Amino acid sequence: MRVEYINPFVEAAFDILKEVLGDDIQRGELYLKSTSQAVQGVAAFVGLAGNVEGRVLFDMSMETALAVASEMNGETLTELDDLGKATITELANMITAQAVTKLHDLGFTFDLTPPAIFTGENMEITDNEVEALIVPVIVKQGKIEINVAVRERT
Amino acid sequence: MKTKMDFPSINERKPDGQGDGGTPYKVLVVDDSMFVKKQISQILTSEGFEVVGTAGDGLEGLEKYKELYPDVDFVTMDITMPKMDGISSLEKIIEFDKDAKVIMVSALGKQDLVKKALMMGAKNYIVKPLDRVKVLERVLQSIK
Repeated sequence: MRVEYINPFVEAAFDILKEVLGDDIQRGELYLKSTSQAVQGVAAFVGLAGNVEGRVLFDMSMETALAVASEMNGETLTELDDLGKATITELANMITAQAVTKLHDLGFTFDLTPPAIFTGENMEITDNEVEALIVPVIVKQGKIEINVAVRERT
Repeated sequence: MKTKMDFPSINERKPDGQGDGGTPYKVLVVDDSMFVKKQISQILTSEGFEVVGTAGDGLEGLEKYKELYPDVDFVTMDITMPKMDGISSLEKIIEFDKDAKVIMVSALGKQDLVKKALMMGAKNYIVKPLDRVKVLERVLQSIK
């Protein structure tokens, strides 16, 4: 997978997370996975289809999701209820919308699915025939992994 | 003993969400995200505006507008929504009330749709993530 697909997502995530959670944000080391990967407790999933196709996953632990949703709502959420899920969905929405603008400027055209939220323990994701690039982003509330598996349509 | 009444109230100002005579401006919030609806409502009510209705899609937004009219001063309208999107809902609201004040709310990356909405008569737009100062500034520009 080409690294140019993931950069817009990482840049957009930095911009948006800084704006909604504050400046305390660091980028971890990018890594590549071609086999199944464990997914943490909460994952927001966005599908891409067009001249590139694949999916983006924003993956975090339940504790991190709760802390992020609490910060964005200005109140403490103790469970990931409908409001909490709507908050994480909106976060994924804002990041992907900004990333897509950057990708469109680079000449890639595709449509997005609305984000879906997966929650649960011991989940894993497998992408057949397409490697996933993962960039961990560390915020005050914990670690959010931006996991992108995209390829050009042949 | 002096009471509070004896001092001039130099620190008190009328909240921006209230018109002359202290009547709150009335807003209808249309957005499919529970989070965004709550966020917009909190920002506006904290400044004295009154949220008189909310809707989760463009069709419900249109119906609520007709129901509330003329007791509604402005609408905040999301763009991407199920059933009827914000652009179609804007169009139908303006068909019904040509003086309707509709402010579009959008994520970055929808510039073409925002332009289209402004051409069709939307008064202003707000880009998410929502910032309190930005929201209030855009809303006040649109209603005054």
